[in-house]
Amino acid sequence: MTREDILNDLSVRFKDDIIDVFDKSPKRVYVEIKPESIVKLVSYIFKDLGARFNIATGVDTRQHMEILYHFIIEDINLLVSLRVKLPKSKLEIDSLVSVFEAANWIEREIHEMLGINFNGHPDLRRLFLSDEWPEGVHPLRCDYKEWDKKAIRDRGV
Amino acid sequence: MSLKLKALLKSPWVFHLSTGSCNNCDIEILDCLTPRFDIERFGILLAGSIKHADVLLTTGSCNRQSVVRLKRLYEQVPKPCLVAAIGECALSRGMFIHSYNCPVPLDRIIPVDVYIPGCPPKPEAMIAGIVKLIEKVKAGQKRKKK
Repeated sequence: MTREDILNDLSVRFKDDIIDVFDKSPKRVYVEIKPESIVKLVSYIFKDLGARFNIATGVDTRQHMEILYHFIIEDINLLVSLRVKLPKSKLEIDSLVSVFEAANWIEREIHEMLGINFNGHPDLRRLFLSDEWPEGVHPLRCDYKEWDKKAIRDRGV
Repeated sequence: MSLKLKALLKSPWVFHLSTGSCNNCDIEILDCLTPRFDIERFGILLAGSIKHADVLLTTGSCNRQSVVRLKRLYEQVPKPCLVAAIGECALSRGMFIHSYNCPVPLDRIIPVDVYIPGCPPKPEAMIAGIVKLIEKVKAGQKRKKK
């Protein structure tokens, strides 16, 4: 399959789930999709198209909380990034661990850093933050405020 | 000078501890030990266990996870022990000073005897730092005698 075939196939097969396709460069395409259809789309890309899961990234923008799932289709060297925009009032999305195990740790990291809940994740414990870190404080959010009163932020000169 | 301290200064065994550095300082420390600089000819030897060490070489900005481990290690060093802070991160946390994960600099956690600045410091700077540390301890001992 060529690049155009795959893009056409995706947009026909999932025309209700895809909101927008942004063709950035010959090697890269961003596909914005609805949050509730993430498992359906990812299973198709991962199992049927044979793409490799690179990583997921979470971004806190001013309006939304975004998650980008990066997949690479190695035969045609195309990087497909599935973009999901979550409203800040409802930070929930289905977990991808049922599709591939590699999503486990990155979902745990996004959960602790940005406070997004992954429904159906088997083990949503902390990954990087220490035990003294308070519950409900997420360091990579825009509105993060320092909670530690004992922290020293000057260079001592 | 006590025999313990005299032996320590004659041949300080160093233990290398990275508290979350970017590995650049660690590479330079390894550079010191390899044949080009070869600090073993001055009697400085890399100790495999903290319980054999005299000098603690610390690199990296201490983050919340490693502060606990650092304290535990410092409790295990046989005293007297000297601490060298290597690199900008260990001195003042460098660019990580406002990081959520690096609340306190190294010298507020354990007493530091010598600061070696640089990002990363050159092996020459590290050797000079250790030599200055030895001289400092010797001078302190002489002053005590008077």
